[in-house]
Amino acid sequence: MQSLWDHRAVLWILARKDFQVRYKRASLGVLWAVAVPLLQAAVLAVVFSRIVRVPTRVPYGPFVFAGTVAWSYFAGVAGTSVSAIVDGASLTDKVWFPRAILAIVPCIANLVGFGISVVALLVIAPLLGSAVTPWLLVLLPASALLFVFTVALALVLSALDVYFRDVKYLTGAALLVWMYATPVVYPQSALRGLGRWLDLNPVTGIADLFHLAVLGPFEAWHRAVLVTVVTTVALLVAGIEAHRRLDRLFVDLL
Amino acid sequence: MSPAIELHRVSKRYWKLEERAMLLRSVLPFARPRRSAIYAVRDLDLTLGQGQTVGIIGRNGAGKTTLLRLMAGVTQPTEGVVRIAGRVAPLISVGVGFHQEMSGRENVYVNGMLLGLSAKEVRRRFDEIVAFAELEDFIDTPVKFYSSGMFMRLGFSVAVHADPSVLLVDEVLAVGDMSFQAKCLERMRTLQSEGTSIVLVSHIMSAIRLICPRVCVLQDGKLLFDGDPEAAIGEYYKVLSAPDETGLPGAPITVMARTLLGVEGDRYYVEPDGEVEIVTRVRFEQPVEDPHVKFQILTEGGLLVSTTQSVLRRPWRRFEPGDEVDVRVRFRARFAGGSYRLVTIVTGANVDDHLVRDEGPVLYVEPRVGTWGIVDPVATIEVDGEDRTWNESLMLQGRDATDSPG
Repeated sequence: MQSLWDHRAVLWILARKDFQVRYKRASLGVLWAVAVPLLQAAVLAVVFSRIVRVPTRVPYGPFVFAGTVAWSYFAGVAGTSVSAIVDGASLTDKVWFPRAILAIVPCIANLVGFGISVVALLVIAPLLGSAVTPWLLVLLPASALLFVFTVALALVLSALDVYFRDVKYLTGAALLVWMYATPVVYPQSALRGLGRWLDLNPVTGIADLFHLAVLGPFEAWHRAVLVTVVTTVALLVAGIEAHRRLDRLFVDLL
Repeated sequence: MSPAIELHRVSKRYWKLEERAMLLRSVLPFARPRRSAIYAVRDLDLTLGQGQTVGIIGRNGAGKTTLLRLMAGVTQPTEGVVRIAGRVAPLISVGVGFHQEMSGRENVYVNGMLLGLSAKEVRRRFDEIVAFAELEDFIDTPVKFYSSGMFMRLGFSVAVHADPSVLLVDEVLAVGDMSFQAKCLERMRTLQSEGTSIVLVSHIMSAIRLICPRVCVLQDGKLLFDGDPEAAIGEYYKVLSAPDETGLPGAPITVMARTLLGVEGDRYYVEPDGEVEIVTRVRFEQPVEDPHVKFQILTEGGLLVSTTQSVLRRPWRRFEPGDEVDVRVRFRARFAGGSYRLVTIVTGANVDDHLVRDEGPVLYVEPRVGTWGIVDPVATIEVDGEDRTWNESLMLQGRDATDSPG
């Protein structure tokens, strides 16, 4: 932890580079960071409200949008940070710095796109029929929880990926399924009795908080959030411990 | 003052997997992939005082790079203790940690900060770094378009401008062109005089001799020799020249012995243009009709310098099993400073039919200051009637200039 803090300048510059490199060659640049989740939300909103007709008690547009903003960040980071240590091998076998930094870099770099998406959410959600209430302040702790959870998962997955390269593909596959096991495109109530089981999914709590911020409180959201917090702490401890013990052994496996 | 680097009984073990590790198999105890242990470094003690320089030489796979990685702290010893004082030691080697998509400029910043500089410090030294690497025209080009030499130049430049307390240099000299090599060596000498500790791994003995007052020879992960560079280089050549497993059972000819004349002691040194004689005693195990001899000289990198072929005139004579004869080759060492491998080949009547190939001794030709490459044509340079040839006395003046700081 101490050495992580000592190397924060490195973390910062790598994150900035990561962000710049990603959009450098694209003429629309950073706009893509916002356009993609927006487009995704729009497509999902149309598909699930007009075609599948998911029954909701709340305005569907803001619901999908809020969920997608959180999910896009999580999935985007998880998908890249899982192989961050393996991909960054050439950076780390010359000079030592905590490898955990490589896993955290995407978490930071993607915050820009996420931040712009949240602003877009604040502007667009009221247009789609949600009320502007003090509950919107929940977005702050919700984002913080999302960030910490993502970092924790990134630490664990990136360490695992060094040992088992399958983890990268496993994560990609899991994310596909995971999205539909999370109330992003449909509310838990749509599943009736089965919906409760989604509370065991740690991302449910995060999605719930985003929904709550935009649409106001609904029943039994605390349960899912509690699961998220507990999982986050557990993952964080596991991730930090894994990196603390294995950091200098990673290089032998790259 | 505490030493810059201290290794105490350090071993590094690698597991060589017989099969690829897979998630499923590693989780199931009975299906764990088979593996065998390999020691890259074994029970090694080495202490380097602050401001000192040590050269590390050894065959490929002797553990040199692993040793540097341990010193750089990028990997942990399996046993023993590694202590490093001062700023993180950057390991400079071919293909430094650069980000392919980013420009040279951005990479200088990232790399400089990885080496412990602040953004401000990098900015202040930026022009100097780029000028040293001679990359002014390409600094805004993504490094994926760089040649390996440009890569190395930039990496080396950033590292030497990062004020490391210890500089670890791994084989970088092999990449750059000769003039940049000279520049690197010059820079290392300046850093030495400023009190930087240097660990230099190289196959280029002229560089080792120029930079290192102390040299370690590694062999199979163990410290074979530690001390005077001349003696160390001698040890190294002994290791290189150790008779290989020639004379496989059933080979038509076996090498019985080999002697080198005209060289200095058992270190195989020779003055430039000195005369060398190599005698290889071979024994015929099968009848051979009209054999020929080929004599080849190769550089350390394996580049063929020359092949000399015995006369192709037949019929000549037949050798019977049990015959022992001397193959005697004489030549002059008209090479630039460096080491050269001498190979003697005996062929059958068909010169492509190699009956025995004796990877003979490695010859070390004393470097002559101001001349490098492969061949030494003993060139002189004159400008406007004035002799401007680089000779020893000029070299000493240059040394004085760099040694006096300020």
